[in-house]
Amino acid sequence: MTSGIDLQKTFVDTLMDLGLTPGLSKLLWMPLPMLVMIIVATVGVLVVVWLERKISAAAQQRVGPEFAGPEGSLQAIADGLKLVFKEDTIPAKADPWLFTLGPILVIVPVFVSYLIVPFGQNLVITNVGAGVFLWIALSSVQPIGLLMSGYASNNKYSLLGGLRAAAQSISYEIPLALAVLAIVMMSNSLSTIDIVNQQSGYGILGWNIWRQPVGFLIFWISALAECERLPFDLPEAEEELVAGYQTEYGGMKFALFYLSSYVNLILSALLVAILYLGGWEFPVPLDRVADWVGVPADNPVLQVVTATLGISMTVLKAYVLVFTAILLRWTLPRVRIDQLLNLGWKFLLPVALVNLLATAALKLAFPVAFGG
Amino acid sequence: MLKFLKQVGDYAKETVQAAKYIGQGLSVTFDHMSRRPVTVQYPYEKLIPSERYRGRIHYEFDKCIACEVCVRVCPINLPVVDWTFNKETKKKELKHYSIDFGVCIFCGNCVEYCPTNCLSMTEEYELATFDRHELNYDNVALGRLPYKVTNDPMVTPLRELAYLPQGEIDPHGVPDERPRAGSRPDQLVDQYRPAAAKEE
Repeated sequence: MTSGIDLQKTFVDTLMDLGLTPGLSKLLWMPLPMLVMIIVATVGVLVVVWLERKISAAAQQRVGPEFAGPEGSLQAIADGLKLVFKEDTIPAKADPWLFTLGPILVIVPVFVSYLIVPFGQNLVITNVGAGVFLWIALSSVQPIGLLMSGYASNNKYSLLGGLRAAAQSISYEIPLALAVLAIVMMSNSLSTIDIVNQQSGYGILGWNIWRQPVGFLIFWISALAECERLPFDLPEAEEELVAGYQTEYGGMKFALFYLSSYVNLILSALLVAILYLGGWEFPVPLDRVADWVGVPADNPVLQVVTATLGISMTVLKAYVLVFTAILLRWTLPRVRIDQLLNLGWKFLLPVALVNLLATAALKLAFPVAFGG
Repeated sequence: MLKFLKQVGDYAKETVQAAKYIGQGLSVTFDHMSRRPVTVQYPYEKLIPSERYRGRIHYEFDKCIACEVCVRVCPINLPVVDWTFNKETKKKELKHYSIDFGVCIFCGNCVEYCPTNCLSMTEEYELATFDRHELNYDNVALGRLPYKVTNDPMVTPLRELAYLPQGEIDPHGVPDERPRAGSRPDQLVDQYRPAAAKEE
């Protein structure tokens, strides 16, 4: 088993050759992948906003943004610039501290969750042992921020939106965690790297979606609900609640909400790709092909090619999922709050539990196929 | 136990049904993505209004006999006809005439019933103003002729679907010379004239 490109090791070795201590070299390395990840996530948001507007337009037989940049691709930047230059207002009798803290508390966990998103064997910020669990824990912080901003806004729509967001996040976290648990049981590890490695070796046939089809659906539905995407966008249902917890927000604080919702969407799509669609794995097992052709596994060209393919495969899978999310947005009507909670507690939760039990039984019965 | 299993089975069936419907819905939205956009890039492109378009009303002061038929047929008695009776000539003397287009519903009843044809519909529809009182047009404003879309050098005029040649769906790039599908009313007159003469 080769590990592919290890940029960290190369970087640290180079610095140590220059006479730096190992600790200092590691310290110098640390901010680099974080910075790259923040930039990737932000650029990803620009792409998703553009995709959302263009695909929405196409689904409605419109043209969509056209004039800002080629094919309107700079529209998101124009929107962002406008928000930056807007006045920062705090409504009268609102709690200024909680009002400001709310959006920050919403966006920080989303960005921190990118810690555990791998794009290759070593192309990850840190291989935390408790990987997916860290993500679930971090995503539980978000509803606090939403509730905080809703409560602090001194506005009935904001409060209702905040409460709905909290209820929704808490309800859908449980089926989400149970679906993840089934995967974790199969791969015997919480680390995202191990989960992908467990799916590798057989190309597209080895991906978890074939072993966990029900779990995949539960995870995707719950992820959509966690992101407050359209069939479940009750917290900001404009017909009922103006904009929910975002009602009183404008300028940069609103931009934080907007950014976090899209970053969260990409993050969820990336995690579905990692947990169910084989992460950075190519549909054809590349190392076997290389073996047949006769290229050694430590060939530098092969390593660069696999790393590039790995990154593009992860991103491609994530964007296909984002596309389905956008298409779903224009297909499904919004559910009512009681339907939402019914779906979460009375359907997804029992099905997720049965799925977990079935996975456990299958693991005992067929340890070869279900990771004994 | 059996009853419970039946319930579970029914529930599963319903779920599959729901999933099927969602799939159908997705295929509909997906299909729409490959369809032609219906967008008209408004300030740069404009549709040519049809012949019987009911836009802003045009009014000819000199033709008006101040009979107030327009006021009577108007659903809300909107036109304001300001006249006095001249005792020497024993005739009505029209002083002012106005219609408030902020209130008008463009039903065209006044145009229909005007005995002297001093009212007519135009193809003007861009009536936006900063103040609603500016929409209260007096007889001078009512007498102005609208600017035709086809004469505007800033605008690409586009034909509506019914005015496009046979087989065309997209108005972009269809040359002006190509006639619309079917016959124009004047052609129909020529076509039916011999037949009508024979019947007589």
